[in-house]
Amino acid sequence: MDPIAALEEIAASAPGLVAAAGTLDELESVESALLGRSSRLGEVRRAMGSLAPEERPRVGARLQEVTRIINELLAERREDLEKGEEEKRLRAEAIDMTLEAVTFPRGSLHLIQQTIDEVVDIFIGLGYLVADGPEAELAWYNFDALNTPPTHPARLESDTMYLDWGAPEDEVLLRVHTSPVQARWMESHEPPVFIVVPGRAYRNDTIDATHLPVFHQIEGLAVAEDITFSDLKGTLLHFAREFFGPTTTVRLRPHFFPFTEPSAELDVSCFSCSGSDPNCRVCGGSGYIELLGCGMVDPDVFEAVGYDPERVTGFAFGMGVERLAMVRHGIESMKHFIENDIRFLEQF
Amino acid sequence: MRVSLSWLKELVEIPDLEAEELAHIFDMIGHGVENVEVLEPQWTEVYVGKVLEVEPHPDADRIRVCRVETGRGPTQIICGAWNFEAGATVAVARPGAVLAGGLEIGERTIRGVESKGMICSERELGLGDDHTGILVLDGEPEIGSLFADHVELPDVVFDLDITSNRPDAMSILGIARDLAAYFRTEYRLPEVDLTTVPGDTSMRVDIDDPTGCRRFVAREIRKVSLGPAPLWMRHRLHKAGFRSISNVVDVTNYVMVELGHPLHAFDADRIEGDHLIIRRATEGEVLVTLDGEERSLHPDDLIIYDDVGPTSMSGTMGGERSEVSKATTRVLMEAASWDPPTIMFMSRRHKLLSEASIRFERGVDPNLSELANRRASALVAQLAGGEVLEGYVDEATGTFEPWTVDLSNRDVERLLGPGIESGEVREILQRLGMKVDGDDPLKVTVPTFRPDLSRPADLIEEIARIHGFDEFGATLPRGPAGGLSPEQARLRRLLHSLASIGLHQAIALPFVSVDSLTDLGWEGGEEDLLRVRNPLSAEESLLRPSLLPGLLKTLGYNLARGAGDVAIFEVGRVFSTDPDPDDPRLPAQPRRLGWAVVGEVGPRVLESPPLEADARISRAIWQYLARSLGITEYTIVPATSPGLHPWRTAEVRIEGQVVGHVGELSPRAARAYQIPRRVAVAELELEPLLRPVPLPQLRSPSPYPPVDFDLSFVVTIDRPVAELIKVTTQAAEGLVETARVFDEFKGEGLGETERAVAIRYRLRAQDHTLSNEEVAPVREAMIRAAETVGARLRGAQ
Repeated sequence: MDPIAALEEIAASAPGLVAAAGTLDELESVESALLGRSSRLGEVRRAMGSLAPEERPRVGARLQEVTRIINELLAERREDLEKGEEEKRLRAEAIDMTLEAVTFPRGSLHLIQQTIDEVVDIFIGLGYLVADGPEAELAWYNFDALNTPPTHPARLESDTMYLDWGAPEDEVLLRVHTSPVQARWMESHEPPVFIVVPGRAYRNDTIDATHLPVFHQIEGLAVAEDITFSDLKGTLLHFAREFFGPTTTVRLRPHFFPFTEPSAELDVSCFSCSGSDPNCRVCGGSGYIELLGCGMVDPDVFEAVGYDPERVTGFAFGMGVERLAMVRHGIESMKHFIENDIRFLEQF
Repeated sequence: MRVSLSWLKELVEIPDLEAEELAHIFDMIGHGVENVEVLEPQWTEVYVGKVLEVEPHPDADRIRVCRVETGRGPTQIICGAWNFEAGATVAVARPGAVLAGGLEIGERTIRGVESKGMICSERELGLGDDHTGILVLDGEPEIGSLFADHVELPDVVFDLDITSNRPDAMSILGIARDLAAYFRTEYRLPEVDLTTVPGDTSMRVDIDDPTGCRRFVAREIRKVSLGPAPLWMRHRLHKAGFRSISNVVDVTNYVMVELGHPLHAFDADRIEGDHLIIRRATEGEVLVTLDGEERSLHPDDLIIYDDVGPTSMSGTMGGERSEVSKATTRVLMEAASWDPPTIMFMSRRHKLLSEASIRFERGVDPNLSELANRRASALVAQLAGGEVLEGYVDEATGTFEPWTVDLSNRDVERLLGPGIESGEVREILQRLGMKVDGDDPLKVTVPTFRPDLSRPADLIEEIARIHGFDEFGATLPRGPAGGLSPEQARLRRLLHSLASIGLHQAIALPFVSVDSLTDLGWEGGEEDLLRVRNPLSAEESLLRPSLLPGLLKTLGYNLARGAGDVAIFEVGRVFSTDPDPDDPRLPAQPRRLGWAVVGEVGPRVLESPPLEADARISRAIWQYLARSLGITEYTIVPATSPGLHPWRTAEVRIEGQVVGHVGELSPRAARAYQIPRRVAVAELELEPLLRPVPLPQLRSPSPYPPVDFDLSFVVTIDRPVAELIKVTTQAAEGLVETARVFDEFKGEGLGETERAVAIRYRLRAQDHTLSNEEVAPVREAMIRAAETVGARLRGAQ
């Protein structure tokens, strides 16, 4: 047969053969059938030597061309088949990604801890240090140094838990607030003082939705030569905006605490309704949330710790951590905080 | 304290404001508003009427026919009440009126007689519970006037939270004074018009306890007739939250609310003898108080005695024996000022918090006693028809002079900042009742009713309060340098590390019982524990010496609620009876870290068997934590600890010091806590974990290839693998990069206490490629080293 005609025939048949290969294995057979030694193309190649010299360039060129076409066809088909086979393989590996087949455990910090850390960080940003102190505390630091004389009702056993320990003149109790740390810190540090004191406090209260015998407070104290009431207001405004959002406003109402003068309670505008919802779950429709007690440090407190009230002024504030967490997270009962139900803990 | 606007307006001029605006003002001057009640008359079309005639009903026995004038000519009304006769002034609902509860009044015919309207009882008007008869008005109210005008309706009642430093503000007068300062208006004292009859009271009073009683004023009132107080007084007291008792008792309450000075009315005829003595009680004495309770007196109680014994508990509650009753005709009206702490302790000792005692414990001005007594006596004379004797008792144990406080401009500016004019300072103080002289400093004379104002700071608070807290700007001071201490930062890292491997932080109450400790194998007694003298409950009167009881209780709580796997930790103080090293006046109260884990832990994989908590998990948690905290210098040494599994527990030592135990709860303790599972537990001292560690210094990863080989040793269970790894590593003289146990086998071919431990070692040199020739003798040295700790190469004999 005329080699050129043979090549044309091969070229014409190749696409059909290549396309018929349904797997990579079949394609390999097709490849050897088309290009292998014993293929018709192979025969043409081998017969090249016996062609007339003037025939050779023409047949040779065509041979190369057909070989190239077939290789292209094969490559193209191989790519298709490989893609298909990979698709099949991947399909076989299908994982239901909606199924939680592997879970990493996630623990949690107690919501009280998280709240404390968040508040503390705000004050660290304002240049405060973090102080700590004993929970079993001397009555002196808990009361006397804070201008609360022995005749004050807060010192009664109905309010404060006392411990059977120590010398009679050094009465020991479970601190009722974190404020004794103020006194301890000032005794051992020179002004200026900028501290926050997170910690536990104790009261002789039975457990109910709004009382715990053990709860947490964050105390703040700033003492320097020129601290004014406006500084107290500005500091608490800054805190409230960081904690509740940038549009929060605050309101100070006069109040009474033995260790500050003037004393105030701080209300913050309701972060939930901003005063627009008369039935608001957070503020009860008042538009404000009562948040904490504060005031200018009483001169008697400075005297008790050896500071000169003629030289320094300062402010102090104390907030209930449970309350902060409750208003922010819609928690209706303080009991959650000490039950340690995993279903509570893991939500935060 | 409940303050009605109508009463307040009697003593101070108040601009016309909405209830809400006024409430805001109360809040902003420091009298927190707990509640605002807007009171409206619960009726329409009720007028003051005069009964002209009363006649029997022709056809009924129980009702009568009245002719009543209500300003539009006489009207006929049928009435079923019998407590009035012709001439009485009454409240009449005209036809078309609607009364409390929606009762509509019309014209109707009762047994053939026409009735146009109704004569009302207190209950029908919603003014009280009295329905025994109709309401008979006293005085001479204008016939045909609106009845509502005579009971001060509509009205607003503010329930104020008066702070404990303001005894003076527990009165209409005190609130009026604050409002006068706020509104820059005037307040006035009530007018007292006391007429007396000549003569001295025969009563004598001796104050044997000058500390307890500051002043005692008593007037004798004769020919008193007890009965109900007039409507206006009853209604004012009702709004203030008091129950009406009788004219005499109501007067004492009325004056207490009005002026802030409590009073007590004795039946003078029921006082034995005419000599009262005020002194502390004697142990064993008993007094029956007004409420019928028999009270055993305490030697610190301050008591009023008559000739036969205790007759009244001063400032707290009167005695039953000398109580005024319907039969009383001779009243001894007492207005005394008592020592605040005495009353505070006494009233709390007897659980007798009364309106009087809460005022006395905050401090009642002795200079107010005479006025309060005069006011009350005058009212009794006026309302109960008595005669007040001119000569009265007024015993005092001191003089009560106003005091002076120097207030400089600088003081004000230091605390409040610039911006408050000295003129305003002066005006505020004056309006609050102070006398202000001088210029700078101001000489401020403080009246005795303000015991809370003794220092410049106290006056500055008054200035700020009336000036308005809202008026102050907001400035932001910054501290010199803030931040967490290294220990505080490490604590945060510790907490987050534990949370990151699945543990939840718990916060338990620190109170425990001895049983909860005995269950943990604790051998001490109650005397070894710190005890709360006045605990919430007897069972939990002790402070925890360990975190474990709380952690285990929490596990139990969660398991009982259906949780299968619980992993918790706590960081908190434990308490001991030893003195605290930092302050020996205090008991030691170190912080600790503890955990308790039950059930599945670690990553959970659907098809793999769960990893259940046991001692190994505790060990793993420790190791993870140590690595997170950069603690490398620690050892794990098998040990025992009460309540823990004797063969599954180890000490953790940091730099040789034992910091606590990690391991597993003993089965006995687990049973006692009703946790029938393996519980991984640990308790460690916190402070050693927080001590800063040296900064890690780089060891450059070697670029040379490693040599890995495995050694399998047979070693008994009581020879710790840690020891084996330590000696073999040392023997390799710094070439061991890692040594990891990859198999532990017990059983066939091994002795009962033996196990085979397979360790994969990776050796690598820092500066060259290790050759086999180099490694072979090292390997031999490692095997020989293992033999020194009782291990032999597996397969070798």
